[in-house]
Amino acid sequence: MLQAVILIVAQTIVLLAVSPFLVGLIRKVKARLQVRRGASVLQPYADLAKLFRKQPVVSTTTSWIFTATPYIVFASTLAAGLLVPVFVSRTPLDFVGNIIAVVYLLALGTFFLMLAGLDAGSSFGGMGSSREAIVASLTEPAMILSIFAIALTKGSTNLSTIVHKTALLEGIATDPSPYLMALAALFIVALAETGRVPVDNPATHLELTMIHEAMVLEYSGRYLALIEWAAGLKLAVFLSLIANVFAPWGIATTLAPTAMGIGLLAYLLKISGFAVLIGILESMFAKLRLFRVTDLLGVAFILALLGLLFFYILRS
Amino acid sequence: MQISSHIGSQLVDLCSALLLLTCFAIVAQRRLSACVDLFALQSAFLVLTAALVAFLTGNHHIYIAAGLTGLIKVIIIPRVLKKVIARLNVKRELVMNVNVPAGLLICGALVMLAFFITQPILPLGFLLTRDSLAIAFTIVLIGLFTMIARQKAVSQLVGFLVMENGLFLGATAATYGMPLIVELGVFFDVLIAVLIAGIYTNRLQDAFDSVDTSHLTVLKE
Repeated sequence: MLQAVILIVAQTIVLLAVSPFLVGLIRKVKARLQVRRGASVLQPYADLAKLFRKQPVVSTTTSWIFTATPYIVFASTLAAGLLVPVFVSRTPLDFVGNIIAVVYLLALGTFFLMLAGLDAGSSFGGMGSSREAIVASLTEPAMILSIFAIALTKGSTNLSTIVHKTALLEGIATDPSPYLMALAALFIVALAETGRVPVDNPATHLELTMIHEAMVLEYSGRYLALIEWAAGLKLAVFLSLIANVFAPWGIATTLAPTAMGIGLLAYLLKISGFAVLIGILESMFAKLRLFRVTDLLGVAFILALLGLLFFYILRS
Repeated sequence: MQISSHIGSQLVDLCSALLLLTCFAIVAQRRLSACVDLFALQSAFLVLTAALVAFLTGNHHIYIAAGLTGLIKVIIIPRVLKKVIARLNVKRELVMNVNVPAGLLICGALVMLAFFITQPILPLGFLLTRDSLAIAFTIVLIGLFTMIARQKAVSQLVGFLVMENGLFLGATAATYGMPLIVELGVFFDVLIAVLIAGIYTNRLQDAFDSVDTSHLTVLKE
């Protein structure tokens, strides 16, 4: 019981501390690739601290949804983060829910963000919500299918079990192809869900293209800080999920202090690597036109479906 | 021995999975030159698969077929197609008979169909490559679908070549390759077909100022 509590606290701290760093790292990589010096990697921490001290401005036309949403988004994303193994293969809340709970906790946050975007009645917010609804409804099946492809090979939808078995090389022996397909699908989903470049551009506030930024345009002060932090957290959750399901090297499979130390170090290295990769990809590709996003997410869905099919076909 | 053949079979499966992946990329890609690049990539995976099968089974004549595939489908045909594309005034597929997401879903259904059909045959095949047969069949179907779904002559040609790649993979998977003389004949046929289709595309461009093959169904200007 005590162990579980310590694990919950430790994982919460790691996730909260690491998420602004990831955002800062991606910005830094992009800046360097554009031959700019760029802001410090620690700039997002300063931004958050500043925003928390500022007074929020709330429109008089908004309802309770507007003020409740930042807390709901932040809490649901953090709860999803606690269901994903981070540096120990055992997740703190693995008795509460499995991977499907992770998907729908994240979807809950997205749903409330969409409502909040509509709540203020501004045209930008509504536009952002409608676009987010397109993206969210297309990523969800792809994500669920790719996760099922993995869950089948390990015989469980519980993320702790999946990661634990992968780390110890247990489970049904299959070909690498289902994994490859699921990895590609999940990576596209992660880019779309966290609003990264081929789908959304987090660096601009251009009305023609923005999705996430349009929804949260009305927020300020501590509400904005919470939403930005939750966005970083969502990125950290997705990267942890991908890193630990597909490459659980170094993750602690016991609760021994040395194993956990190595696990933490390996985790930081892995997600930093992913963040650098995202920064490079964002510099290489242009944002897709909104109506081409469906093509990309269609590819993700088909990849996930193929992963699932290959599990049955190639099992012989 | 058991373990090495198991890993070998997994590698062959992985390579054929990558072949199938490039098929989907071709279906999703609108830019004509990118389609040709993807076809070259697919052919490179095909070379890899054939070389793997040759290495694992000790059938050395497959090496020759793999080498010819590399020469003709990775180098010569993409170059010819690039030259044709360079003459065209439209570089991308603007209107398709089936839009991209629907096309992808149809191809997903084709995968299931192919797997369903080959399911009873699979246990009868050779141990090493039998899973690839289902994938080869899928690639043939997707190539056919690409020919139907696209309107530009160049992408229809790419669809035709994808079908041919599928047939080659099928032959390698089902019988460890056809006799070399048959392979040689097929390669020659494909090369000539591409050259003729290239000339025909150029004529189409000159006659209609477009390579949209639907113009050919109209009797008068």
